[in-house]
Amino acid sequence: MKNKEITYHLLILLLLILNSCKEKNKYHTITDKIAAESKPYHGELSSDELLADIPLIKITEGKHTFLIPERKGQIQSFACIECHSKPVSQMKGLEKQKAHWNIKMSHANTDVMNCASCHNGKDMNTLHTLTRQPVDFNLSYKLCAQCHSDQFEDWKGGAHGKKVAGWTAPRASMTCVNCHNPHNPSFDKRWPVQFNTQKAVERNETLDH
Amino acid sequence: MSKNKKWYTLDLGLNKKKNTTGSCSCGNISENCTSAKQELSADEFYKAAVNASIGEERHKDGFDQVFDVKMDRRNAFKKLTASLLIGAGAVSTSCSIITGDDTKEKAQINWEEQFKGNYKLMTDEEKQGTIDRLMRSYELQTGKNISMTAENAVANVLFGYAFNISKCQGYMNCVSACVEENNQDRNSQMQYIRIHEMKDGEGFKFDNADDNYYHEVPAEGHFYMGTQCFHCDNPPCVDVCPVQATWKEEDGLVVIDYDWCVGCRYCMAACPYDGRRFNWSKPEVPENEVNKNQHYLGNRMRKKGVMEKCTFCVQRSRKGKNPACVEACPTGARIFGNLLDPNSTIRWVLENKKVFRLKEDLGTEPKFWYFMD
Repeated sequence: MKNKEITYHLLILLLLILNSCKEKNKYHTITDKIAAESKPYHGELSSDELLADIPLIKITEGKHTFLIPERKGQIQSFACIECHSKPVSQMKGLEKQKAHWNIKMSHANTDVMNCASCHNGKDMNTLHTLTRQPVDFNLSYKLCAQCHSDQFEDWKGGAHGKKVAGWTAPRASMTCVNCHNPHNPSFDKRWPVQFNTQKAVERNETLDH
Repeated sequence: MSKNKKWYTLDLGLNKKKNTTGSCSCGNISENCTSAKQELSADEFYKAAVNASIGEERHKDGFDQVFDVKMDRRNAFKKLTASLLIGAGAVSTSCSIITGDDTKEKAQINWEEQFKGNYKLMTDEEKQGTIDRLMRSYELQTGKNISMTAENAVANVLFGYAFNISKCQGYMNCVSACVEENNQDRNSQMQYIRIHEMKDGEGFKFDNADDNYYHEVPAEGHFYMGTQCFHCDNPPCVDVCPVQATWKEEDGLVVIDYDWCVGCRYCMAACPYDGRRFNWSKPEVPENEVNKNQHYLGNRMRKKGVMEKCTFCVQRSRKGKNPACVEACPTGARIFGNLLDPNSTIRWVLENKKVFRLKEDLGTEPKFWYFMD
């Protein structure tokens, strides 16, 4: 009888001790938690549906494989050879309205870059690298990466640039030209999209008191 | 036998009858009845008189003073009728044959909403029940439909956020996208996100920073950084809530049950990052601007006197989308993802960039990192 009572009390004590180790204190820091519970996500959520209507192409750069938006379909006057039936040198003298009058180059200076740094005069439907290797318009990031190597590294990893849709796999990232105009790549100064007038009023009121 | 009883029984006066078998009404059998009567002194008479009038009320407290009083039949009926009328008034809307079905349904919904439990403790069916009621209630009020969901946290997901302070240019597209997405009050111009304009070379000086600038950005010699709810892994706001109306979900989101919040604002005081907002007035959003894709814990319409804050757009993130601020950012300064997935871009940022968090020494463990190019 007495033995039973002792075991009963011990059991309660054990339960209390076990109970006091709360889930909350399982990890000391969030980095511990991430390290301990890290595993590739193959769950029910995926971006497939969000990306369904967007034409994408798959690229592999280093150890990163992901999707980027297809580009050629988005260029208004593609394919270029529809107009550029002759080499550029022969078209220059023609007494016609200039086709690309609206493009202003503001990308490095003319000592470093001109149209021919990227556009392939021999085959206007493609671009080319500094060593004159042809590059498809869909893979234009390869040209940017020639100079902007830091940004390229960040972009591959996902620290530079935006995702096309959600956070889930498959990863689809915007490519350089989706945000930057290659002829004028820097962002302009502009006004913020909004101003909180209420906050301004409240702060003025507080100052008066 | 009755002495050995361990429980009390209701004494209806039946036991007394045994004693009244004698000839005398005072119950004394052995002595003469008249001999029991004694003369009262003046003092004793006074005491007895007071006892007779208010005696019992002196010893009563609280409800007993009202309920446990002697009253005649007429008074009792009067009071009963009055209270019945009040009670009937309360249920008349739901039971009346004069009022319309809509009014009845509205009253029924209000009743059930009033007495529902804490969301945290609800089963999935109960969660579905409450969002069904809220959707129906909105339809009855406005004639328009909303879609509200109550997705639970997804397994193996822990949401995290990274903010690139070299990239942010202070355009504030995130702020307006957030307001539109989360149905924040337009009158008080509530905003979850603050973008701080800080001087280059001075570090994080929130005292000298301006979070309500209006000039061309980026301004010369300044950098920009945003703050919002950081969804701390050790959230002080959750600890101080006296009614457990705010808590941390399995996927790391710190959320609020707007229907359980009592509006004490302890959480607002406890948050070291100014992440929480209070509805001082009834939040209003023009009908055509209401975002109708809602989540119970997210952007559904709030009421006056409750707390709200960034939920990493729970209505979007639990469907696999990015929060509205991430999607709206024109510079790509905002990165969002699953911290537990080693292949996610947020993990690449944490592992390859120089990251830090705000007020890290407080031990709040925010899941919101800042980094630079």
